[in-house]
Amino acid sequence: MNTRTDTPLPATDYENDLQRLGELASLVAAAQDALSDDMVSRLASAFSEGITLLDRLTRNEGLMRLLQVLDRAECQYVLTSLADAITQMSRELATAPPAKGGFGGLLKLAREPGTQEGLRALSMLGKYWNDSLRELHRHGG
Amino acid sequence: MRILVVGGGCGGTILANNLARRLAGEIRTRKARITMLSASDRHMYQPGLLYVAFGQMMPDELYRDQATLIEPTIDFHVDPVEQFELDRNQVRTKSGKVHSYDILVIATGSRIVPEEIPGLVEGSETFYTEKGAVSMFKKLREFQGGKIGIVVGVPHKCPIAPVEVTFSLHDYFVARGIRDKVHIKYHYPINRIHSIENVAKWAKPEFDRMGIEYETLFNVEEVDAKNKIVKSMEGTEYQYDLLISIPAHRGMQEIEKNNLGEGGWIPTDRHMLTMEGHDNVYVLGDTTNLPVSKTGSAAHFEAEVVAENIASIVKIGTPVTEYDGKVYCFIEAGHDKATYAMFNYQNPPDLKAANKSMHWFKMSYNKMYWASVRGLL
Repeated sequence: MNTRTDTPLPATDYENDLQRLGELASLVAAAQDALSDDMVSRLASAFSEGITLLDRLTRNEGLMRLLQVLDRAECQYVLTSLADAITQMSRELATAPPAKGGFGGLLKLAREPGTQEGLRALSMLGKYWNDSLRELHRHGG
Repeated sequence: MRILVVGGGCGGTILANNLARRLAGEIRTRKARITMLSASDRHMYQPGLLYVAFGQMMPDELYRDQATLIEPTIDFHVDPVEQFELDRNQVRTKSGKVHSYDILVIATGSRIVPEEIPGLVEGSETFYTEKGAVSMFKKLREFQGGKIGIVVGVPHKCPIAPVEVTFSLHDYFVARGIRDKVHIKYHYPINRIHSIENVAKWAKPEFDRMGIEYETLFNVEEVDAKNKIVKSMEGTEYQYDLLISIPAHRGMQEIEKNNLGEGGWIPTDRHMLTMEGHDNVYVLGDTTNLPVSKTGSAAHFEAEVVAENIASIVKIGTPVTEYDGKVYCFIEAGHDKATYAMFNYQNPPDLKAANKSMHWFKMSYNKMYWASVRGLL
């Protein structure tokens, strides 16, 4: 059975390719008309400085080690909890009355379990930091 | 291993940075050390001077602090070398310090010597220095019509510069709408319009199309600045209103004073890039006496080879590669189109028609140069 259709015959692949090439050429021509030497220079300058910065960052061993460490879940917990702690601290500082000073105030602060936890965390940080730094110096990084 | 790099130009900086990357581990464990001695704390992008001469770049765009371009592991000093004591593996600097080395790299570059031609300094403009490029631009701005002569001394840095400046002059006066009032005449010292045969073949029809007159076998003997006449050794002369010169170059004076090479060019092995008779001394860029163009790109490709070889000597005790004479030159064919020439010891360049995309590639490279000297590109 014959059927009639108004749909035109599909263009050949060759014609499609030519059309795409034509579109690409139009795009290049449009870019050439739209851009100036100064714009090209600025783009190139941004690219040049950008890859230089990227190169410095990716070759910085300290930064790369930091990123590696930050990939661990427990480190992300540390960062999240640090962010939370900073928020809490800023809120409490804003509402707390100014410290009166004196040894008594210091003693009162030292008696608080939170202060003792904080000091313990900081002293542990100092201990491991010191160990790691000594090791790095011993082996030349 | 103590590696000493003398010269902080294009070749020396690329070499030192490339080497510092390759030997990062050895430098950290103090098995290798790189020291650079330079005459200046600033680094200039020399190809930019042509743009300054046509008001397309400002002089301050051409400079960066050298210290910002080099790897932090390189021991950098602004203290030019005055004495090379190669038999004792040491150099003596202007400040009186002595630097010993196991491997020495000499990349001291070249300088213009217009004073060798009577009248050339007084009678012509040149864009090979910052001061000269600014002066040339001012003269071009004032120029309302007349005869412009272009003369070329040999050897000179950037072999393409004579045709580039000629094309740029044409476009500059077209843009100002006074091209019909300007007669441009190009003079070249050998019997064709460029030393590279394929560049000559490509440029000749371009000159014809632009209405640029040319005279070959014109070696400048003297310039009569008062009467504005340039005379050739061949007996011809040209009366000009504005003379633009590409002066002859010589190697640095310290090279000649230390008897390292006639004219300041050090005899260099064309593949290993070592100084003849000294296997632990490498020579780079303009300083060599090699039959390749004195360009930043030649220095760049040479630096890659020397860095790879010095690194391999440090790591396995032997060099691993050789220089094939590769040079890549952008050619600005006016103010909005460009082409390029790539060649080596074996293959001459095969120039393509100039187009705007290549011009933008060159514009981009003017900025990407800084990534290049940092050893990144």
